[in-house]
Amino acid sequence: MFTVIKTGLETSVQDFPGRIGFRDQGFPPSGPMDSWSFRLANRLVGNEVGCAALECQYIGPTLAFEQDAVIAITGANMTPKIDGLAIPMWTSIFIKAGQELSLIFAKVGVRSYIAIAGGINSQPWLGSQSTFHKAGVGGIEGRALQKGQHIDWRSVELNNTLINRAVKSEALPDINNDKAISINVVYGPNEGWLDEAGKAKFLTEPWKLSSKSDRTGFRLEGPTLTFTDKAHNKSPEHGSEPSNIIDQGYPVGGINLAGETPIILVNDGPSMGGFINPFTVPGCEFWKLAQAKPGSQLYFKEITVQQAQRLGREQTEACNDDKITNQ
Amino acid sequence: MENIPLQTSGNIWKILVKVGDKVEEGQVLFIMEVMKMEVDHEASCSGVIQAIHINEGDEGLDADMIAITIEPA
Repeated sequence: MFTVIKTGLETSVQDFPGRIGFRDQGFPPSGPMDSWSFRLANRLVGNEVGCAALECQYIGPTLAFEQDAVIAITGANMTPKIDGLAIPMWTSIFIKAGQELSLIFAKVGVRSYIAIAGGINSQPWLGSQSTFHKAGVGGIEGRALQKGQHIDWRSVELNNTLINRAVKSEALPDINNDKAISINVVYGPNEGWLDEAGKAKFLTEPWKLSSKSDRTGFRLEGPTLTFTDKAHNKSPEHGSEPSNIIDQGYPVGGINLAGETPIILVNDGPSMGGFINPFTVPGCEFWKLAQAKPGSQLYFKEITVQQAQRLGREQTEACNDDKITNQ
Repeated sequence: MENIPLQTSGNIWKILVKVGDKVEEGQVLFIMEVMKMEVDHEASCSGVIQAIHINEGDEGLDADMIAITIEPA
């Protein structure tokens, strides 16, 4: 068990791939935004890659461990320490009962992951332990960690083979503080509503990531887009804005054109609505969004669905056990 | 001198003090908007505001940037 001494900004339990199969009832997958770093954290401590672990956003927590544990911290660098002494990231570490793990604000990236050998023990909801804050379900009491909470993990035999495991350099995501970030997108499902100039503008101009971005949507600020006749000459039930459409299902990662504002629908995003999604960010690119700071300039590059699937497979391979080495 | 870092990379929403103000430990100095939440930043000690390095509306600054400098009492 550990006790939450400081919560961080918003620290929550997530598992991978999250709550799958309930989108038709309005439930998003939730799960870790940077699933690459998340899966590697679990690998390091000997868990299955999808095991429930903690996602820390912007500012990490301080946790007092009351039992021995093996932990690993990946993703954004929040200067992790045990009892005030710096510990390495991307490495499995033994923490003794009575010791305190502390993370501060993210100096590189935005989201850190803390995995514990055995995995966080909480009640699954609709088959997943992932926290979906907006509905108050999953995780621990359906919300972010609260000060004073006691949190358990599933017991597992701790032995030396679990400690000092590290990620091979070739399998690490390149998390940095670059202000310009390239994000791959695929066309659709509603690309036919933007005209050629509108599509070209979207794919060439920079888009500023707004601080009004969270696990529901990443809001973008940039140029005004232009539409085809279809968007202007349509039956009234579509709605008055060019980007309005008769309510439809939204893909996870859909770049939703809400009026003139593109919003990328991420892990906790809505499942349906009445705006077009001319492009979609594939899941393999979410780790870049997860680690992008507000104010960053996003540049979108079109790839095919097949290319996106290949990138996804490569990312899965980067999280395999053969990418972990014993130091 | 006591330096108060931004700690997050959001939008500077409100600055509640000015240079020369006396502040108490724990007093909220400025509020940031991050993930649609208001995040208070408090004084880590009592003292006098010596310098303010941020402006309301600033966005995209690094989290380890110094926001406010306090001369401890």
